[in-house]
Amino acid sequence: MTNGAVRASAEKGKIGHFFRTLGKQYQLMIMSVPMLLYVFLFNYGPLWGWLTAFQDYQPRKGLAGSKWVGLKNFEFLFTHNTFFLAVRNTFAMSLINLVFGTVSSILLAVLLNEVRNRAFKRTVQTVTYLPHFLSMVIVAGMAQNIFSGRGTLNEILMTLGLTNSPILFLGEGKYFWWLIGVINVWKEVGWGTIIYIAAMTSIDPSLYEAAAIDGAGRFQRILHVTLPGIKSTFMVLLIMNIGHLMEAGFELQYLLRSGLVMDYSDTIDIFALNYSFGTANPHYAYGTAAGMFKSIVGIILLLGANRIARALDEETLI
Amino acid sequence: MKKFLATLLALAMILGLVPAVLADDAPELITITAFKGAAFDQPTDDNKIFKKIEEDFGIKFEWEFLAGNLDETLGLKMADDESLPDLFDGGNSAEKLENAGVLIDLLPYISEEGTPNLWKHLHGTNVKLDQLLSEDGELFIIPNFGVIYNQEIKRHNGPAFFIQKKVIAWNDYKVPKTLNEYFDLIERYLAENPKNEDGLDNIGFHILSKTWRRFCLINPVQHLMGRPNDGEVIVDINDPGWHTETFINQPYAKPYYAKLNEEFHKGVIIPDSFTMDEDTYKSDLAKGTVIGMFDQTWAFNDCTASLLNQGKYEDTYLALPLVYDPEYVDGKVIEEHYINGTVMNKDRGFGISINCKYPERLVKLFDALLSDEWQIILHWGFEGEDWYYDENGRMNMTKEQYDHRNDAQWKRANMAEPLYDGIPKKEGTMDNGNAWDPSVQDEIYYASSLTDYDKEFMAKCGVEAWEDFFNKPLECAPYGEAWQIDKGPIDEDYQTWCLLQEQWLPKVIMADPDKLDETWDEFIEVINPTSKIYTDFMQEEVLKLVEKALGSTAQ
Amino acid sequence: MTVISATKKAKRRDVVFPIVNTIILILLMIITLYPVLNTVAISFNDSLDALKGGIGIWPRIFSADSYKELITDPAIYRAFWVSLWKTVITTILNLFFTSMLSYALSRKEYVLRKFITTVLVLTMYINAGMIPNYLLVSRFLKLGNTFWVYIIPTMFSCFNMIVIRTYIVGLPEALVESARIDGAGDIRTFFQIILPLCLPVMATVALFVAVGAWNSWFDTYLYCGSKKNLYTLQYLLKMKLASTQASSNAANTSADALANSVKVAPITIRASITVVSTVPILVVYPFLQKYFVTGMALGSVKG
Repeated sequence: MTNGAVRASAEKGKIGHFFRTLGKQYQLMIMSVPMLLYVFLFNYGPLWGWLTAFQDYQPRKGLAGSKWVGLKNFEFLFTHNTFFLAVRNTFAMSLINLVFGTVSSILLAVLLNEVRNRAFKRTVQTVTYLPHFLSMVIVAGMAQNIFSGRGTLNEILMTLGLTNSPILFLGEGKYFWWLIGVINVWKEVGWGTIIYIAAMTSIDPSLYEAAAIDGAGRFQRILHVTLPGIKSTFMVLLIMNIGHLMEAGFELQYLLRSGLVMDYSDTIDIFALNYSFGTANPHYAYGTAAGMFKSIVGIILLLGANRIARALDEETLI
Repeated sequence: MKKFLATLLALAMILGLVPAVLADDAPELITITAFKGAAFDQPTDDNKIFKKIEEDFGIKFEWEFLAGNLDETLGLKMADDESLPDLFDGGNSAEKLENAGVLIDLLPYISEEGTPNLWKHLHGTNVKLDQLLSEDGELFIIPNFGVIYNQEIKRHNGPAFFIQKKVIAWNDYKVPKTLNEYFDLIERYLAENPKNEDGLDNIGFHILSKTWRRFCLINPVQHLMGRPNDGEVIVDINDPGWHTETFINQPYAKPYYAKLNEEFHKGVIIPDSFTMDEDTYKSDLAKGTVIGMFDQTWAFNDCTASLLNQGKYEDTYLALPLVYDPEYVDGKVIEEHYINGTVMNKDRGFGISINCKYPERLVKLFDALLSDEWQIILHWGFEGEDWYYDENGRMNMTKEQYDHRNDAQWKRANMAEPLYDGIPKKEGTMDNGNAWDPSVQDEIYYASSLTDYDKEFMAKCGVEAWEDFFNKPLECAPYGEAWQIDKGPIDEDYQTWCLLQEQWLPKVIMADPDKLDETWDEFIEVINPTSKIYTDFMQEEVLKLVEKALGSTAQ
Repeated sequence: MTVISATKKAKRRDVVFPIVNTIILILLMIITLYPVLNTVAISFNDSLDALKGGIGIWPRIFSADSYKELITDPAIYRAFWVSLWKTVITTILNLFFTSMLSYALSRKEYVLRKFITTVLVLTMYINAGMIPNYLLVSRFLKLGNTFWVYIIPTMFSCFNMIVIRTYIVGLPEALVESARIDGAGDIRTFFQIILPLCLPVMATVALFVAVGAWNSWFDTYLYCGSKKNLYTLQYLLKMKLASTQASSNAANTSADALANSVKVAPITIRASITVVSTVPILVVYPFLQKYFVTGMALGSVKG
């Protein structure tokens, strides 16, 4: 027998083996393949829309009737001098949101886990998740009241003598990213905690008992039992969110921005909104092109993060 | 019986069982889907006006209103022919419906005999049909506002510099006429009254400068130069070539921003001006802490309402048509023209979509609703119920009747707002001298908007109406008002241009006085390239419009 | 000696920590509760007075007018039921499909695991844009103006799948193995062994799905805008806010007429809408909290 034939038959065996295994796993297939078809229809089906990023797309004319313009829309984005500011701002704000959001949620979850009184624990949980339900318009209004030149924060700073004249928190670019981060933490910390609290329910209580017998203090228990117990959730969410680094939201930024901070406040979404729907004629394709750009960068980041996690032998997403 | 038959017919139609049979006296009941590119309340099922329309014309409406982004929504509707509503109002983007070809040409359905009211409407005193036609001579949308019958009634409701009435009283009822006089008065008043009656800090001059409200920051210069609101350009109406230019980058714009810079450093303008949102701005106004601002009357109506409600009549605002002092414009004395003649609301209102099965019935409906009888119902309501003839034989409303018109709950059942807003209608006066629009009818306008404080205030100023502070309206220029021009072809540059102003003007105002000239020059350098594109475009468009308007009179 | 002092120290820390912890949590509650109470206060305040701002946690001039404006519209009751059904059905179907899928993708031996997971995960990062989605649902699937448009397009979310899968992976593998030895197939193993252990994470995901389904209004706007009997509560309230905003900016109303008759202004109606639309869904969380008890899942296995 030649080498090739050996390889071919081994290959054949592999494929055969694959199908034999698959046949045995028909129950798993019943449980998973319908949803696979579902996402092909609902999520991948509409992806023909990405083709319109290469068109001067007019909804009424549709994909077939609109004019093809090649890379013109991408050229518009990549040659516009504020687009790269928008990319930078998006990245910076979502990174801040990711770090602040994750740390604060875990911290709150750990603190809650240490509460013995069940009624108090539930009250804290319920109250801290309330702001999640406030609309951004209301939240932005409150941010105005707190951070404006005549706002609460300046009043406090001036009473304490920390500053002589009010600081224009909303009017200086250097504060803007951090403000968004702080507001998002405040709004979402309770909501973000839920997932970690749920993860903690799977921790084996005997581990705590064992730790106590070993003489571990509270902080050691947190360090050696609680945190490892939510590590896989943390890793999975982290990888997932790294893929979302091109998404910084836009509503809060849009509501709080002003001419003075535009160079720091405008995200990719705001840029796309300005030039696709803020104009006299809508330019759908700019929005699509920007969306495509975000998707591709997001997927690259995601796969990268996933690979790193795998190399470090940590929990992975895929 | 008739109703029963109509229902049966409608049912049969829905089921597709029988072809529509048309009886002469009972038009088949049809349901029209209608979209409005603005937010409205859903009328109730037994709304009295829609009920009468259903009885008289056999037409029912299924309404859908805007809740998201207008252009995005229109795009979705246009992407699928089947989802086109029969009656399609594109709100402030209606011309996009025309461009996309989803509306039908209405001209074939309009004739002197068939639709006499519409015919007359389109050949009225301030309407020239030609101005409404597309380049191929089609008529897609009949303007929903701005067609005047008989006498034009013009109230000031638009842009001006405003000042609290108490400040004018404090100044012995001497009213500032120029920019310097205005700020001088504010400074003097503020120096003497750093806090208002409630002990809150007074704000000398407030500028709302974000998003669509940036007009408060950008628009004043044209008015200071003696022009009505053309948006962002000044058109020289005395120039045979209709010279058009953006004003923000002209040398004559600088004195205004330099003045604001000076006032900023004097503390008359506070830094929060450039970061605040509309709620904050409105709360400052409603608290009676803002001495002056540039705005449009209707844009802060609710603040005035709040002040009246608190009994702070003296804190409500007087509109002032300020102009530049001669020193800023080579010694020229500028004549103010804040109020313009009525502009036809071209390309705004209902169109009929290519999806509509009953275009003729709808055009006939438009025509019938333009009859005097229906116009009174739509503008005023039903006699006896919603209005009455007073002892002078004039149409009038009691206070209660007028107040209803701001009560959302009442309006849902008793007014046909979504329809009213989009159909062609009569404005100006009826043949018997009553105003078509009740809110400008003298009796109602004065009874509803003039408090005793106001009457006394006017007497002391020596005027009889708020409009007396203004010059008579200019005759509307043949190009209309330049802000109406569709900026589609230069979209991206126009947007960049707008954003640059929003970004740079606050910087100019807040600049260190020594650096003011430098910052201004930097701004001019940044803005000039897009300004030039915009100017060239507008010049061309203005000339086109003028040619259309003047060309048609020549015929 | 050193051991004793160490435990003593630990004991002392154990007294200090709960106090510090309680104080931190109370402070956190105050800063999260304040804006909520503020919103409630504004919603019960007189509209024209609320415009002045500066309301704390108690109304300055009490008025229930903005609530009256909401509840006098009979449409709101039907909308409430539509929202409720939409939320309940979406949650049940979504949980059913998502959890089953999560189990399948948690099985390391499943040969399609990596492929399917990758395909699903990428859905979180791709968005075709609104128009293609709209055409799919409305023109191709003809779901427009039907109740099913609320259910079918939202039956799966990858995020929730990952959350459940991570949880299942964390359960002891021995559970599945012993089921196998008993001759149970995957479907039976999932429903009989795994699903009951997943209550905490199912409760979490149920909350996520329910809140999402309850809060969405755009689907109604896109697909059922002209069908009054399919309006959801959120959509109806959203429209109410939009029309109040539009009429407060209407050019042809005089300020005096407003002063006499304005019952609702955007600022108060926004607040009352927030209250009316959130209260029903807020009830869900405390109800689900009983599943969030540490060790509960495994405790039940052992017991």
